Amino acid sequence: MGASLPPKEANLFKLIVKSYETKQYKKGLKAADAILKKFPDHGETLSMKGLTLNCMDRKSEAYELVRQGLKNDLKSHVCWHVYGLLYRSDREYREAIKCYRNALRIDPDNIEILRDLSLLQAQMRDLSGFVETRQQLLTLKPNHRMNWIGFSVAHHLNSNSFKAVEILEAYEGTLDEDHPPENERCEHGEMLLYKISLLEECGFLERALEELHKKESKIVDKLVYKEQEVSLLVKLGHLDEGEALYRALLSMNPDNYRYYEGLQKCVGLYLEDGQYSPDQIDRLDSLYKTLVQQYKWSSAVKRIPLDFLQGGQFREAADSYIRPLLTKGVPSLFSDLSSLYNHPGKADILEQLILELEHSIRMSGHYPGRTDKEPPSTLMWTLFLLAQHYDRRGQYEIALSKIDEAIEHTPTVIDLYSVKSRILKHAGDLVAAAAFADEARCMDLADRYVNSECVKRMLQADQVALAEKTAVLFTKDGDQHNNLHDMQCMWYELASGESYFRQGDLGRALKKFLAVEKHYADITEDQFDFHSYCLRKMTLRTYVEMLKFQDQLHSHAYFHKAAAGAIRCYIKLHDSPPKSTAEEDDNMSKLLPSQKKKMRQKQRKAEARAKKEAEEKNEESSASGVSKSGKRHVKPVDPDPNGEKLLQVEDPLSEATKYLKLLQKNSPDSLETHLLSFELYTRKQKILLALQAVKQLLRLDAEHPDSHRCLIKFFHKVGSMNAPVTDSEKLIWSVLEAERPTISQLHEKSLFEANNSFLEKHKDSLMHRAAFAEILHILDSNRKSEAVKFVEDSTNNIVPRNGALGPIREWNLTDCIAVHKLLETVLADQDAGLRWKVRCAEYFPYSTYFEGCHSSASPNSAFSQLRKNSENESLNHSVDGQNVGSITSNGKLEAFKDLTI
Amino acid sequence: MEGADEGIERVVDSKDLQQQSKAFDKLTDRVEDRQLDSSRVQEAMASIAASAEADWQAMRMREKELAAVKINAADVDIIANELELDKKVAERTLREHKGDAVAAIRHLLR
Repeated sequence: MGASLPPKEANLFKLIVKSYETKQYKKGLKAADAILKKFPDHGETLSMKGLTLNCMDRKSEAYELVRQGLKNDLKSHVCWHVYGLLYRSDREYREAIKCYRNALRIDPDNIEILRDLSLLQAQMRDLSGFVETRQQLLTLKPNHRMNWIGFSVAHHLNSNSFKAVEILEAYEGTLDEDHPPENERCEHGEMLLYKISLLEECGFLERALEELHKKESKIVDKLVYKEQEVSLLVKLGHLDEGEALYRALLSMNPDNYRYYEGLQKCVGLYLEDGQYSPDQIDRLDSLYKTLVQQYKWSSAVKRIPLDFLQGGQFREAADSYIRPLLTKGVPSLFSDLSSLYNHPGKADILEQLILELEHSIRMSGHYPGRTDKEPPSTLMWTLFLLAQHYDRRGQYEIALSKIDEAIEHTPTVIDLYSVKSRILKHAGDLVAAAAFADEARCMDLADRYVNSECVKRMLQADQVALAEKTAVLFTKDGDQHNNLHDMQCMWYELASGESYFRQGDLGRALKKFLAVEKHYADITEDQFDFHSYCLRKMTLRTYVEMLKFQDQLHSHAYFHKAAAGAIRCYIKLHDSPPKSTAEEDDNMSKLLPSQKKKMRQKQRKAEARAKKEAEEKNEESSASGVSKSGKRHVKPVDPDPNGEKLLQVEDPLSEATKYLKLLQKNSPDSLETHLLSFELYTRKQKILLALQAVKQLLRLDAEHPDSHRCLIKFFHKVGSMNAPVTDSEKLIWSVLEAERPTISQLHEKSLFEANNSFLEKHKDSLMHRAAFAEILHILDSNRKSEAVKFVEDSTNNIVPRNGALGPIREWNLTDCIAVHKLLETVLADQDAGLRWKVRCAEYFPYSTYFEGCHSSASPNSAFSQLRKNSENESLNHSVDGQNVGSITSNGKLEAFKDLTI
Repeated sequence: MEGADEGIERVVDSKDLQQQSKAFDKLTDRVEDRQLDSSRVQEAMASIAASAEADWQAMRMREKELAAVKINAADVDIIANELELDKKVAERTLREHKGDAVAAIRHLLR
């Protein structure tokens, strides 16, 4: 390291390295310049200067200097190491690993390089390489604690937990009896817990329990100690001890559902599916009755019985659960109860129960069977609960009447407007939903939650500009909505991306979806610094948990939505490419000379406006670069703010494939993944990959309408292909011949027969009928009218139930919208589409899509009434060209000024 | 009074930001490794036996077997292209299925 320099310069070189390690970059730079004054071609100094500049955000200079340094001194491990560090900082991990290996070829036992290599191997999950490197580090420096821990963790990650335990035990053998000293108690305790979890993972349960007891005094985290102990006891079948310990844990935290579950297991009263026999229910009931005496303040102990109780017992328990919460006015009560609606029969019981409470309070002012007077608010909260109940059951008219009554009762409760907004959204009136969410927001301008809910509703109603203005009320001053991107606000980016997609603005939509994808790339990168940090801190259990979480990161629902959205954008781009300049010129040439002139003027004006806007945007970005401390923090200006460059992609399908592969790897159990796969690969003419998608769809849900569509479409397409000629085609044909017999839907049937037998099984389901009709049309386009008639002959049956308040029909709004689109696009029958629309307007009177009589699209809507009731229109939210510019923002607040208490 | 309030707020804000960036910076600070007792370490090292030898031998035998399988180069290209796979993956799968292209493809479509 700088050995060829004279002593004075060699010391300066050491100073550069030390300054780099301690992040004193300016000092390092000064030292480097001092050396280069005398030795301008010194490779290692050039490299270190470059690395220092890289940490000061001067990247292009950095690469230039590092490459120059390496070129000047190819035999220097320092130069290769530095080049690797540079690549690493740009996340070019494979290139970085190559550089490190070159460095190690020159200096095989360099500790620093081996350590950096091991970090990259951990990041890239090259686990066998990681083990090898950590072993080498341990061999070279066995006196360093971190090397033992690193080697052990490496084996654990490489699926060798037993080896990891052995290494930790060998490490413990190096310690004093009175270890750890006071300042290392937490670290040592964490290491012990990690070792015990490894023993448990190996299946050495007895040994793990023994070790846990032996080391009790050295383990600082008492909660995890107890939880680990009870887990081992249960696995070993020591249920009595387990029960006692779970009761101890419950006394520490009686709202932890896992403790109740554990206790139930210990007394033999836990079933995964929750299907208990009457005898088991009775025993559970008495268990919880004793527990409720012990933990009076716990809501969990009162709520859990509602899950397993049935019939009359359920009704009684639900009644005693609900009453105090209505009296207290708990807004989240419905959310608490909502999982019960998936249990057969309980929704009906809840309905009767709440209606009785409502009736009694309304008539007499107290609960049934009680004489205590309820406060006036109880009726309002009961109505609030009922509104959410009917919303859940799809009876939007009743839900709206209940919430309106509650609002009339107490018009100042924000939650009422939020729930009304949600009901309208479910009923299909997104514009009115946004208006009421805005009403709720205006009642508490300091609450970001209602602000965000309002923004979400506006985006759902495709009011993107208004949503952005509203969201900006809570972003950092000067940052505008770039702040939402900086803070990784994915829900906003997904909702606005979907809105742009619905409006056909693919550029902006793609930009939003890809922004979310970038957040996930950043989150993946975020783990890098912890590979060394966690070994130092010894937080090993959490570190391993983090690594496993990172391995599953792209399984998260938000990534799925973003990737699916991006793929849809690219497919649409492929199917309808934007007009090229040549096409526009052709159109231009057909115009009259005067029209040409006018068109050219218009274009010039538009370009000028765009340029001006871009300049203003740049100015804004620059201005925001000055932080409050006065330092200028320059942000890079977004070169493509509206996603126009994203639209210029040469091969949209290959871009889409990148995201599809991530979905296939991380969301293989999602139907949507394989639907997109089918759409993409049929367009790419990859027959075998399309077949794979069909097979996956059949594996997941062979009876799903979309699975059926893809299956028949695939074999219809294959059936129309020419006889194979090339080797490639022959091989594909052979695979198809081998695969077709394995598909049971097609056994000894033509495609028509397969379609018919599919219908036989699902003739009462609207979506299955629609799939049948679509396939009928595809197989024989002459039978379009038959297909159309078949869809229109579908019946919206009433769901049988014992409800006293109005019927519930089978069809839901989303399905009916999908059928309408099918009629208008695939089946291309505008008249049928119109008839369907009129029909569905009857079923969904609040739907703006179907222009129902109560929707915002009609003069009789809630939205119109809201406008009529307003006292003034706020100018703050008027947006040029936006319909919703006239939405009232602070209308009702004026009325409240005269309110007295 | 207003000025004083603003001043306080500004100070709190910048101090908060400083604390945050300091905490972030600390994550990547250079820290000396803790040292262990030398004499005990030697004993511990001896107890780490290398069992990698047997694993390595087994792997080598497997690779030898696969290398002996005859395959059609054109099949590798077709599989790699149609299934959008790396050629190495396509070749390995073909070898694992004894050169039977149809069987290899059906395996990859699982």
